[in-house]
Amino acid sequence: MPLRPARIGRVGVVGAPVAKAAVVSAAVRPGPAPVAKAAVVGAAITPGRRRRI
Amino acid sequence: MAEVEIAEHALDDLGPVDYLVIEFPAGHQTFTGEIAEELVRLVDAGTIRLIDAIVLTKDENGDIDAVELSDAGDLGPLVQLEADLAELLAADDVINLANAMDPGSVAGVIVYENVWAGPFAAAARRAGGQLIANGRIPIQAIIASIEADDALDENGA
Repeated sequence: MPLRPARIGRVGVVGAPVAKAAVVSAAVRPGPAPVAKAAVVGAAITPGRRRRI
Repeated sequence: MAEVEIAEHALDDLGPVDYLVIEFPAGHQTFTGEIAEELVRLVDAGTIRLIDAIVLTKDENGDIDAVELSDAGDLGPLVQLEADLAELLAADDVINLANAMDPGSVAGVIVYENVWAGPFAAAARRAGGQLIANGRIPIQAIIASIEADDALDENGA
């Protein structure tokens, strides 16, 4: 691991092993209607959408 | 004393610092330089400040290799950013970050300050506010929420 010497022995900032996050692109790529799913996400963040209480 | 005041002022104006680990799975690595161009664009626009960047590889045995950006070959437009990197990540961080990678993959790691958020964060602090939570909402969760709403509508609820 040819890291610069400045990185060796220093206190880290990440803190703990990082878990793999859900792959975001998988949400809109596969499935029977990928375009529809992308549109759904777009609708969710459209200004004016009101939450259901 | 003046230096302390300057440092405190700079710290007060610091935007949130985030990291990203972008994995390129084996067989899905098509580097055209577009990523570098967009990264430079974000820095030039003052949206972010690039603090650190390294390239990680994990072989099929799970062994990790880390390459400094300056040693990663032709940097293209990243050359102008490389000189200002702060080398914030320690060797332990590299191991922790690589934990998220699949064997056989390559990943780019960037650490950056959200410069765009600095003035807002400073204003919030001056008003007595303190950040007590933050996070990212997965696209999957948004889809699930909308689909649940649609299901309720269809059922007349």
